[in-house]
Amino acid sequence: MIICENCQSRQFDGAIFCLECGANLQPRRDPTRPLPQGKSAGATPNLRPAVTTTARSGASITLVVLTTRQRITLDASEELLIGREDAAHSIHPDIDLGEHGGYDAGVSRRHAILAYRNGEYSVEDLGSANGTFVNGKRLEPHAVARLSSGDELACGTLPLRIELP
Amino acid sequence: MAPGIRLQRTLSRAVVGASDEQQLVYVLLEATPEGLPTQMPKLPLNLCLVIDRSSSMRGERLAQVKEAANRIIDQLGQEDYFGLVVFNDRAEVIAPSQRALNKTELKAAVGRVEAAGGTEMATGMALALQEIQRPMLSRGVSRMLLLTDGRTYGDESRCVEIARRAQSRGAGLIALGVGNEWNEDLLETMTASENSRARYISSASDVAAVFAEEVQRMHAVFAQRVRIQLAARPGGLVRALDQVRPFIAPVAIAEESDLVWGANLGDWTGHEAQSFLLELVLPPLALGEHAVAKLTLRYSMPSAGTQLQQIEDVVRLRAVPPAQAGYQVDGTVKHWLERLMAYRLQSSAWQAAESGRIEEATKRLKMASTRLFDAGEVALARTVEEEATRLLRSGVASEEGRKRIKFGTRGLLGGATEERETGSS
Repeated sequence: MIICENCQSRQFDGAIFCLECGANLQPRRDPTRPLPQGKSAGATPNLRPAVTTTARSGASITLVVLTTRQRITLDASEELLIGREDAAHSIHPDIDLGEHGGYDAGVSRRHAILAYRNGEYSVEDLGSANGTFVNGKRLEPHAVARLSSGDELACGTLPLRIELP
Repeated sequence: MAPGIRLQRTLSRAVVGASDEQQLVYVLLEATPEGLPTQMPKLPLNLCLVIDRSSSMRGERLAQVKEAANRIIDQLGQEDYFGLVVFNDRAEVIAPSQRALNKTELKAAVGRVEAAGGTEMATGMALALQEIQRPMLSRGVSRMLLLTDGRTYGDESRCVEIARRAQSRGAGLIALGVGNEWNEDLLETMTASENSRARYISSASDVAAVFAEEVQRMHAVFAQRVRIQLAARPGGLVRALDQVRPFIAPVAIAEESDLVWGANLGDWTGHEAQSFLLELVLPPLALGEHAVAKLTLRYSMPSAGTQLQQIEDVVRLRAVPPAQAGYQVDGTVKHWLERLMAYRLQSSAWQAAESGRIEEATKRLKMASTRLFDAGEVALARTVEEEATRLLRSGVASEEGRKRIKFGTRGLLGGATEERETGSS
């Protein structure tokens, strides 16, 4: 028996969507997945204050969540973690897509890094369970892709549009 | 190769965890014809047009419909029957059901139709049912092709009753709504049975293409009176069966005897994929291989004589220790399930809106939009989202938005249908 997180109804094991409310019932696809090696794990605590402390440099970036039309505007920062908040494991992404349907869309808790270097934005997939896509093309795990204004970035199936000033 | 239907089956999971609880598995059934002769013998067609000629049809709409009717007449062969009934406040038979031999005369009859008056559909439907039963066809495809642009008042239940009578006698109903004023709930209810479908034509200029496509579809029927039977194991059950291709439609399935479910699937067209999604509840399963359901398809194949054909398929899966089962589900199954969920969500949203539960309706539309986004139906997902916002703000959805969503989620939108690639192979 599964309990739907969205409406608390009881559903059969093996159900993919909740019969009552239509929410995706598939379990978190990355709870036991080994975290990618390298900088992401150790770097997280340092990343967190970046959003609030970096002075506005005029190179802010906006992510438009295409499913909800919500806009997330952030000041330029060397590295921003995109993922899903998991307080129990002290994962506090700078860009928490959990608030934007990220769970349903298969966003990993540590999904990708949005980096700003030499006046350019890029994204790096952190070996996410369901992939990072730039304009529909899936990035190899840990591959880096440059981002331009108007690009469509998808974390799992959550589509985001990049807007640069 | 003897002609027949080939059935391909995909499970959401072929391996499940052993469990002492029931669990759910989704089964995608995809049927394709095989071994058909390249030149299929055309089945005689028995077609009756039922055309709304109320005053709102005046001008462009009626002109397009007449043009479309003429094109149908051109498409018909010597074996085919054609009848034409028109209605406004009353109904009349313009061309009694007859072999399409004298095409000039039939077209002249079409030309004499003029628009005036109100809309009273049931009388028109009753006359059409009368006409369509005239020819004594031992074999063939009988359909009523209804076109309307308005609402009928007070005789809705009679319309549904006549539609059911026709369907039970093997005459399907193709109901086409033009513009935004017609009653989509009525057309949907009338066509919620085998061999029937409703379509939304937003622009009158698409009428001819849609008519032509429907006639082509009727001419391409390769299997008739298809019937499915599903036997589950004790402790299991069939929760639902839905058609997902060529368009989404719930299938009326009933438990006919203990643990055996059955449903009529109507006539099948050769150039269209036929797919169904089955929701199967499994009994508690111990470790090992299990046959969990038996599926039987019976049908007749006009090109291969009249005797009943039958195929059987046993659904098997393996139960492993739960920790090894994994959560991976088949992508194609999930895609169609996602589309089906979007259809169900919008459908329950309109019901909620009808009974004044606007917040609930909005929530359901938003979830439908999420499902559509995930299924890659981005444009439709946006339409649903916009209507959800409008509904929350103003308490009502737009007529056009409602129709677009209702028919769009089923894959029945617009003019000529384009076969959509879904990434499934």
